[in-house]
Amino acid sequence: MALPNQNAIDVANLLHVSLLQVDYKSNRYAPALAQSLPQVTLMGDSLTSLDYHLRPAAAWDNGQPVLATDVDFTLKLMQCPGLPNEGARAQFSFIRKIQLDPANPRHFTIVCRGQATELATASGDYPILPEAVLDPTHALRGISLAALQDWPESRAPAPAVAALVQRYQQADLARHPERLPGCGAYKLAVWETGWHLLLQRKAHWWADALRPASPVLQARPQQLDFVIIPDDAVATLALRRHELEVYSPVPARFFQRLQTSAAAQRELFFYSSPSYDIVTAGFNTRRAPLRDKCTRQAISRLFDPVALLKATQLGQGSTTIGLLPPTSPYYNDSLPPLTYAPARAVALLQQAGWRRQPDGTWRHPSLASPLTLRLRYRTDETTFATAALQLQAAAAQLGIPIVLVPTETSVLVSALRSGDFDMYIRLVRGSPFGFNFMPVLHSNAIGNGNFTGFGTPATDRLLEGIAVEGNERRKRLMLRKLQAVVREEMPLVPLFFLPIRLVASRRLQPVATSGLKPGYMPATLAWATADSLRAPAH
Amino acid sequence: MTPAGLLKRPGYWLALCWLGIVAATGLLSSWLRLPYLSTAPDLLHMAAPPSALHYFGTDVLGRDVLAGLVTGAQRLVKLSLPAVALATAFGAVAGGAAGFWGNTRLRLPLGALGLPAALAWWLLQLPGCVYFTVSILSISGLYELITSRRQQALQIRPLTFALPLDSLLLGIATLLGALPRLVLLIALAAGPPLTLVQLLALLVLIAWPEPARMVRAEMLRVRVQPFIEAAWASGLGPGRIWWRHALPAACQPLRTLAPLSLAGLIGLETALAFLGIGQAPNAVGWGTLLATVRQDPSAWWVALAPGVALLATLLALQKVAASK
Repeated sequence: MALPNQNAIDVANLLHVSLLQVDYKSNRYAPALAQSLPQVTLMGDSLTSLDYHLRPAAAWDNGQPVLATDVDFTLKLMQCPGLPNEGARAQFSFIRKIQLDPANPRHFTIVCRGQATELATASGDYPILPEAVLDPTHALRGISLAALQDWPESRAPAPAVAALVQRYQQADLARHPERLPGCGAYKLAVWETGWHLLLQRKAHWWADALRPASPVLQARPQQLDFVIIPDDAVATLALRRHELEVYSPVPARFFQRLQTSAAAQRELFFYSSPSYDIVTAGFNTRRAPLRDKCTRQAISRLFDPVALLKATQLGQGSTTIGLLPPTSPYYNDSLPPLTYAPARAVALLQQAGWRRQPDGTWRHPSLASPLTLRLRYRTDETTFATAALQLQAAAAQLGIPIVLVPTETSVLVSALRSGDFDMYIRLVRGSPFGFNFMPVLHSNAIGNGNFTGFGTPATDRLLEGIAVEGNERRKRLMLRKLQAVVREEMPLVPLFFLPIRLVASRRLQPVATSGLKPGYMPATLAWATADSLRAPAH
Repeated sequence: MTPAGLLKRPGYWLALCWLGIVAATGLLSSWLRLPYLSTAPDLLHMAAPPSALHYFGTDVLGRDVLAGLVTGAQRLVKLSLPAVALATAFGAVAGGAAGFWGNTRLRLPLGALGLPAALAWWLLQLPGCVYFTVSILSISGLYELITSRRQQALQIRPLTFALPLDSLLLGIATLLGALPRLVLLIALAAGPPLTLVQLLALLVLIAWPEPARMVRAEMLRVRVQPFIEAAWASGLGPGRIWWRHALPAACQPLRTLAPLSLAGLIGLETALAFLGIGQAPNAVGWGTLLATVRQDPSAWWVALAPGVALLATLLALQKVAASK
């Protein structure tokens, strides 16, 4: 349930299987546990019905079939109060109902709020969990999904839910994922926190017998050995020593250096593609000095996104005006790009009521302290450190002290959740398949994914509308409006989209890459044939 | 110094010249008109080799290496020099007192026992911290007042106790020396970044036992010298003998030890900065510059300049110490 970072999501996708999964070769959703993509029926003008059939072969490790009741249980678990499911709650709140077919235990229908085209794929993108392990008495079957979604925070959970939550917490699944068997091809063999993870392929997996084999249901490697190497130089060295077969993401300079090395070219394939990950600065709008949008706009004018992109990514990637890439048809190209403009920043600060003091600091009549900011970012990332230093130097010239607080990855999210920051720099993960920005901007998600604390009734309505809107023209207008609002209110400052850079050994087949993290499908990796070894570098 | 004298010890004078340059750079760094700040990245020249724009190149975050070197020299002057001066002074006084008075010769009135008790109560923040601290001090003061008057009236010798100064000093020094200095420093500096004053205090705490041990040993030799015996015979008080006659003589070896202590502290401080422990994230120094090479091992210039500066400074201090 709690997937704190991208690595956790990647591993969960290998241990468990979703109804639908992205095929990186075609960059589209393909059926995984589901037999086919759902059949879509529009109901009235505000609901969508999605008809799913599970694969007859799909089975848990004990041989029991994966049934519609497991999907029902998973959807309810994602909405259970008291579980670490805040992200999933926000993301899948559009699923209002699941109807099981009494005649066919592998057939069910999902009813969604809204009629957006992407609901069909979004409705199946979550790993299905076994009901028999966590809810052997089927206690959740008696509670509807809508009842769990609408459960008031002030009201104590139902006894069945409370018992389930207690069982879930006692299982300590965050530390012991092996206690929750999946129907995926791999099982967790070794987990040494922070540096090593070994997944072993199950000897008999239900999808082995499927013909033709779906790309998303392939599991070629007998074991997957993931090593977390925080030092890029060490990782590069390990790659050159053939101790790693795949290295991703590779920092720009290391990638460039490897590409220009004749020896590396003989041994390695290089892949680079635009990603959907945005380097983003965020303001804590709950803090008094940052409540005024003019102050946020002023500080954002001190970033130099173009120079930062060139410096940290060697110009790869793209600057952006919002949370959508410039290649998107919904990109609001009427907004001017964000540029470094200290003079404009001064004017905006004055507009916000700040006055420059003789000692160079900025004071506001209604605030006791001068304008100073604490900026948090991940400690092991030079892109964030460079952006932080650039902002700090630019702000110092205007007399605004910025205290840098590089924070360990494990601590950063809890610090952001608790609001212990004035600004942050972090990655916001995007997706080409949907436009659900509620987890990062909706007021219901404050303290979970919405770390800035921003949210107004108007923006909440806009975000909810975008997530479910089926009409293409209206959706475009709403998305353009959202980008304009975010630009005006500036709770977030999207700086630039990162590229994904991946280096793989030539001993592997050419790897199917994607702009989605982790940039490749580990389960489809296979050793190269003599022909592919002779192929030119990518 | 005549040219002949210079030629006689060229290494010594070269070392002094280098140390002078480093000290002058550190002292005058605020007035030096460098084209770049040590903390501001030049986004157009990231990890750039030495050029006409950046004479010593830039690191992986685009920071000017020359500006970093100057800031490192400033840090040395602001941190390592005061630390060694304070550690030497404290060590000399503590070691000198321990050697001079030993375990039995320094006798204090009984009432003085209240002072460490009150201090311990206050430091450990035991219940009723202020109330009990003040009470202990008051009781011991009152006791001392009453007994001293009574003793004067009765003309008897005051009740005193012997302070085991030597054992105390050796015990604390042994405790601090039980762990390697770098390990101890890392353990103490781990946590939130330290201010310059906190780091200074930490370095002093680590460095004082060495001069203390040396002065104590020298004091054991000095206090039986004829000139000290003569001072006793002339009726001078023990404090005056210790301060005016014994301590200056016992501190002679510090002239050699101080440069070596400075070299040790510079090494320790650089190691801490290299490991990024106890440092502000945007602090720049020789150690932090050396550390950035890990992020881009091909940027040899980032390691070369601070490496040479550090090596030259340590060698110069060794040379100066050896020449004393």
